[in-house]
Amino acid sequence: MQRRAFLRSACLNSLAVAGAVGCLPVSAWASDTENMALSVEQLPPLEGDLTLYLGRGEGGLYENVLEAIRKRNPKFNLQVRRGVTAALANTIVAESKAGVRRADVFWAVDSGAIGLVADAGLARPLPAALTGQLKPGFQYPQWAPVTGRIRTLPYNTERVTPDRIPDSVMALADSDLSIGWAPAYASFQSFVTAMRLLEGEQATADWLKGVSERAKSYAGELGVVMGVERGEVDIGFANHYYTLRLKSGKPEAKVDLAFTNNDAGCLVNASGILALSEGDLPINFIRYLLTREVQSYLAREAYEIPLVNGVQPPQGLPALSAISPPKLDLTQLADLRPTLNLMRRVGVL
Amino acid sequence: MQSQQQIRISRGKGLVFGLLAMLAAVQASANGEIGDHVNDLKGHLGQYSEEVDWLVGKYDGVVDSYEAKGRKAVETQQLIDFWEEVDFHSAIETNYVPVYANIWQGIYGIKQAIEAGKPVAEVRAEQEKLNSAFWQALGAVKLASQFQERGLLAKIQTTESEPTTMPETLEDIKLRLDRVVAKYAEQLPEAATTIVHDTYLHRFEGVEGALIEQDAALVEDLEKDFNVTLPQAINGNASVDDVRKVVESMQVKIDRAKELLVAAEKKRKDVF
Repeated sequence: MQRRAFLRSACLNSLAVAGAVGCLPVSAWASDTENMALSVEQLPPLEGDLTLYLGRGEGGLYENVLEAIRKRNPKFNLQVRRGVTAALANTIVAESKAGVRRADVFWAVDSGAIGLVADAGLARPLPAALTGQLKPGFQYPQWAPVTGRIRTLPYNTERVTPDRIPDSVMALADSDLSIGWAPAYASFQSFVTAMRLLEGEQATADWLKGVSERAKSYAGELGVVMGVERGEVDIGFANHYYTLRLKSGKPEAKVDLAFTNNDAGCLVNASGILALSEGDLPINFIRYLLTREVQSYLAREAYEIPLVNGVQPPQGLPALSAISPPKLDLTQLADLRPTLNLMRRVGVL
Repeated sequence: MQSQQQIRISRGKGLVFGLLAMLAAVQASANGEIGDHVNDLKGHLGQYSEEVDWLVGKYDGVVDSYEAKGRKAVETQQLIDFWEEVDFHSAIETNYVPVYANIWQGIYGIKQAIEAGKPVAEVRAEQEKLNSAFWQALGAVKLASQFQERGLLAKIQTTESEPTTMPETLEDIKLRLDRVVAKYAEQLPEAATTIVHDTYLHRFEGVEGALIEQDAALVEDLEKDFNVTLPQAINGNASVDDVRKVVESMQVKIDRAKELLVAAEKKRKDVF
């Protein structure tokens, strides 16, 4: 097992980070002064009718963003259909097959759902000036990531010392650490999908079997983090913001974050948006979501990671240049069915 | 421990809040489609009153037969069929689920007492409880009709709509928990468990991140309620009253969560 280097952060006592920089260039996380995020003041007003399909977002905060956009644009008539992200993606594809298009824009909480719609050939190309505001590694021609979230290893600071945590997620299957996970949870399934794509079917099956021998299941990933904090398990799998939010409400919480190195264990997944209809209005609406103001709001209030240049990440995360997520086209995470079949086959679902 | 008086007061308040919560997201009932009559309660109050009288008479007839001729003379499935036959069923189901649950509890109280060959006095006691639930339900529907007439009640839909704010989400969670009790009283524990699971995953999960910043202990508590206490009560064959107690205790915590999140929202900076 490799010894790891650790960074101190303002919020967390010790954040374990990967030793080496992985596939994404360091500049992926650095500010790009040429294509900084715009201010809302630089955008044209929105006028006309637009229908947004909105996958369930972060507890009303996305709604606050939409309300603020409405308030700022009195001639803008925004209709919103809300639902489970995957269900809305399937609806968009089904409507298209029936020759109907009800949505002009689709804002999804995970990139897999975006991939499903994009693969059906329904996404309109985005202008280079828009995608150019996004960090390298997150620039896609047909959709824009809105905010990111990192897979992390929350660990109990009283039960585990950082040097016991491997910097490879695959090595966790052979460790002696007790593990908390939420196999039925969408974010976890995206993570396993990433592992399947990066490591292959057999290696993923072996990993799931190995970890399941020492794993305790939770309904959701906040549950995982709280289980870790209570000392029910040594370590868990969860998106970064659960730990940050727990630490915000309970500063003395006995939990910190570790990151693996260049594998599915530190995947950066993203919420994303795409335009389904032609014209300037859908594109300009997307621009509003990528403004400095909206990106800062989501970072500050929801602890989500801004993916545009020039906006600070949420407090409590280490410098992102020290994290090495795997290189993966996020829309490939739409390929969920083989993952679910695999998880059922090895008995973790 | 709350006194009966406190519980009555709290339930009375709950009735008003429950009606004002404007249940706009009623899905098609497991017992059949919800008719348009639920959007014109006032126009159907006469029909509902007649149906309640009819139900009281029908159940009385069943218990009379049991008293006169014994267990074999009674087809207990009729007790459920009577209830599923009337429009009043969906009128109360879509407007005040706690009383709807009491009705199912009363129906099964009679059914199980007869099937177990209990003394008639015990069956009559269950019948009394059911009659009280019917009259309470009729009162609730009359009150709902007044709200509806004043435009204070949203049009009842048969497709699901989504709450858009955290307080709305928490109100929706409370209504869903009422449905858990109703389904359990209806002797559908799997349906009740599914509602618990879906409510956790599709509703509570969306607010607990914000809530944990305000009160981590409250989130711990509700996590346990959703994932351990309530499922265990349902799967462990607890009485309907015991399941209701778990739900009521959760609803008190949800109210507290709502207060905290409303206060936090007021302090939140604007987007622009």
